[in-house]
Amino acid sequence: MADTYDVVVIGGGPGGYNCAIRAGQLGLKVACVEMRGTLGGTCLNVGCIPSKALLHASELYEAAQTDFAKMGIKIDKVGLDLPAMLAQKDEAVDGLTKGVEFLFKKNKVDYVIGKGRIAGKGQVVVTDAEGKETTLATKNIVIATGSEVTPLPGVEIDEERVVSSTGALSLKSVPKKLVLIGAGVIGLELGSVWRRLGAEVTVIEYLDRILPGMDGEVAKNAQRLLKKQGMDFKLGRKVTGVEKLKSKLKVSTEAASGGKEEILDADVVLVCIGRRPYTEGLGLETVGIEADKRGFIANDHFKTSAEGVWVVGDTTYGPMLAHKAEDEGVACAERIAGKAGHVNYDAIPGVVYTLPEIASVGATEEQLKEQGRKYKVGKFPFMANSRARTNHETDGFVKILADAETDEILGAHMIGKAAGEMIAEVVLAMEFKAASEDIARTCHAHPTLSEAVRQAAMGVEGWTMQM
Amino acid sequence: MTKIRECEVLVVGGGPGGYPAAIRAGQLGLDTVIVDKHGLGGTCLNRGCIPSKAFIHAASKFEEMSHIAEKADMGLTLEKAPVLEMAGLVKWKDQIVGKLTKGVGTLLKGAGVEIVAGWARFEDAKTCVVTLEDGSTQTIKAQNVVLANGSVETELAFMPFGGPVIGSTQALELSEKPEKLVVVGAGYIGLELGIAFRKLGSEVTFVEAAEQILPLYDKDLTRPVTMWLKKNKVDVHLKCKAKGVSQKSGKTFLEFEDAKGELQRLEADKILVAVGRRPLTEGWGLENMGLDMDGKFVKVDERCQTPMRGVYAIGDLVGEPLLAHKATAQGELVAEVIAGHKRVFDPMSIAAVCFTEPELVGVGLTPDQAKAKGLDVIVGKFPFAASGRALAMEGGADGGFVRVVARKDDHVIVGIHAVGKHVSELSGEFALAIEMGARLEDISGTIHVHPTLTEGFAESVLASLGHPIHISA
Repeated sequence: MADTYDVVVIGGGPGGYNCAIRAGQLGLKVACVEMRGTLGGTCLNVGCIPSKALLHASELYEAAQTDFAKMGIKIDKVGLDLPAMLAQKDEAVDGLTKGVEFLFKKNKVDYVIGKGRIAGKGQVVVTDAEGKETTLATKNIVIATGSEVTPLPGVEIDEERVVSSTGALSLKSVPKKLVLIGAGVIGLELGSVWRRLGAEVTVIEYLDRILPGMDGEVAKNAQRLLKKQGMDFKLGRKVTGVEKLKSKLKVSTEAASGGKEEILDADVVLVCIGRRPYTEGLGLETVGIEADKRGFIANDHFKTSAEGVWVVGDTTYGPMLAHKAEDEGVACAERIAGKAGHVNYDAIPGVVYTLPEIASVGATEEQLKEQGRKYKVGKFPFMANSRARTNHETDGFVKILADAETDEILGAHMIGKAAGEMIAEVVLAMEFKAASEDIARTCHAHPTLSEAVRQAAMGVEGWTMQM
Repeated sequence: MTKIRECEVLVVGGGPGGYPAAIRAGQLGLDTVIVDKHGLGGTCLNRGCIPSKAFIHAASKFEEMSHIAEKADMGLTLEKAPVLEMAGLVKWKDQIVGKLTKGVGTLLKGAGVEIVAGWARFEDAKTCVVTLEDGSTQTIKAQNVVLANGSVETELAFMPFGGPVIGSTQALELSEKPEKLVVVGAGYIGLELGIAFRKLGSEVTFVEAAEQILPLYDKDLTRPVTMWLKKNKVDVHLKCKAKGVSQKSGKTFLEFEDAKGELQRLEADKILVAVGRRPLTEGWGLENMGLDMDGKFVKVDERCQTPMRGVYAIGDLVGEPLLAHKATAQGELVAEVIAGHKRVFDPMSIAAVCFTEPELVGVGLTPDQAKAKGLDVIVGKFPFAASGRALAMEGGADGGFVRVVARKDDHVIVGIHAVGKHVSELSGEFALAIEMGARLEDISGTIHVHPTLTEGFAESVLASLGHPIHISA
């Protein structure tokens, strides 16, 4: 039998590969098991990265037709070569997944291709594509198997006409009518891409609001902006079935409370009602781990109830975000190595890559009200920011929430161009337990959009100057 | 008879130093008057940062479309090359400037500040006579004076502005794109504008006296910009001194002395002189105020106070860096000082952004500057070629990176620099990190969103600690 590993990580996504690399750096003997055939997980292969690669091209496509004439740039009709656009996306993905393989070699991580299954304490069985099984002996097992698309009962995903986010990243042509089921992050991002490329997009959401869980004011504003861009919203409605006709799809909907049926035509339906932990066939029972009703595995500082078995990322609690998984992966490896790895769950930012972007960290106003915490609000619109004005990107605002007594920043929510990059400053501030005044008194470069973050922070104490 | 207006605070100059000073003073309940001649918003809003950024933004879009017309990219195709209508671009830019300057007026009024449009000339430290637009005059006597007169473009005595020789202000007003543009000075203003004109299709050449472009930054940082210039066939003549303009058979030439001391010349439709700015210390009665000077700047202490009680000076008038946001910070501070707050101007750093291609951001010390200060430092670097977000927006291949410099003994960060597409918005986090005295571990312990460029900062920190995840150590 082969040598015993210190750590075997099951899953090569952002949680798994970061954990494996960090373990390698710390001198542990480590293997990472991945069945996809490429590293990087959902994020790199069919999630964050490929969807972002389509953002830039589709934004330029739309802007070229709507905005450029105003600036004195005259152009003929821009043509769209969808296969080429998708090929360029695949190239970016390929480069990055190969990059992770290279990093494994550099950090002495064994990359084992196949489906990993726990077979009792210290045992991971890997089944390769031909069905051949190999057993890895290890002191520690890290579960980083991630998540999968939550299916919608009664709607069968074929990844051609009825697609999940995976299929939505490689449609063969721009659908004339695209119906999104679910107004969450993934749906709105991908829906925006296809709308910019020419699709008519209708969003059906069970709840009476979009972006559930995000700050209400930001969500409302986002809905208004997306609607202005041409997205149609049908809130408080549920999908009861999708009928596949030869020429089109018929999406049956009714009010969330029942009744008021309505049938929508669609060329493509994107099911994006969420993701659920992926632990199928993982052999949890062999070590006595029981997932909860929704499939999540509980942890205490990444330790599961079974000795020597750890868990990070989407398979455990917390936001299903790549960067949360990455940080957990790193911290988990450090804990295995006897160090004090730690993740601060109060300062995990989230970004929605619509145009404009939406970014948030910390508590929402709704959460603070529920906690009964006294807070102050500072707000600043990009309409009054000079950089936004020069780029004609004035939609959105920055909102900073701070404790009414101590001025500690409790949350920040923003919608605007490059919000995803600007949120980092507030996250860092929150890690420092900074007061809003700390941001307000920090000199911000002019002319940048980040000045709006400062002006919003000034607003907490009522001395905003640019509006 | 001349009217006399008495007030608590008189601000002279409506630029990014003066108008925030006036607004803040108004917010604090002080009876405030602001005098401005050349349009509220100053150089920054009327003929500097803002119009240039609008220009740069449009030029970048034009370039992107030109590339697509040449060779289909990202799945986009264009049969005919885009056409630039310079008049349309200038009009678009003017609209933006118009809206913003009007906005400043509204903000001042909202804060209860009285705006006097005219040229102020001091008779003594607390009294000035303003020549109004209709030629009449008004005298203002103030308990406190804030000098925010700003700066002007430096001209070269042997080739003053006029004819083909232009400054940055005129460069933004051109009604036609120059076919051949020669830029004297490869500092950030020259580079920003020169690069924008190159993107719009001009043939551009730089003549720079120093031995590198952007002399304030190290070569490592400027390399991606140099690479872009090379790739786009922009010649840069370093260690060369402009000597003058000559005309021959209807053509204009810039004469310059090359590194070997030989005289050379370059044909040009326009010659943009961008050799810097100097404080505006003439023409408004500074000599009548009894203030001390610090070289060419007005001397102030850490509260922006001159030796004359109740007279303050801020912004470009008082020293480097000549940046709008430094002026703004001082303006706000001065108003608070006048209102009796305890404030001093002691920023840990002032971020600087160059909107070149690619963009460049600097906060704090470069490794060389740190070493020169006798600091023992460690340095970490992360290339954007390894960033998913950069790759997803065509920003991975230009040689960009984030670099962090920290003290070796206690890991306190002393400098953060980045060069790359769209890095300007990273400046907020960089500035806050330095301002709060962050250590490397504070940054590595902060979750950065995936996929964003900000991850590059966290990775550069990990690299400095010897264990980066997304590049090999």
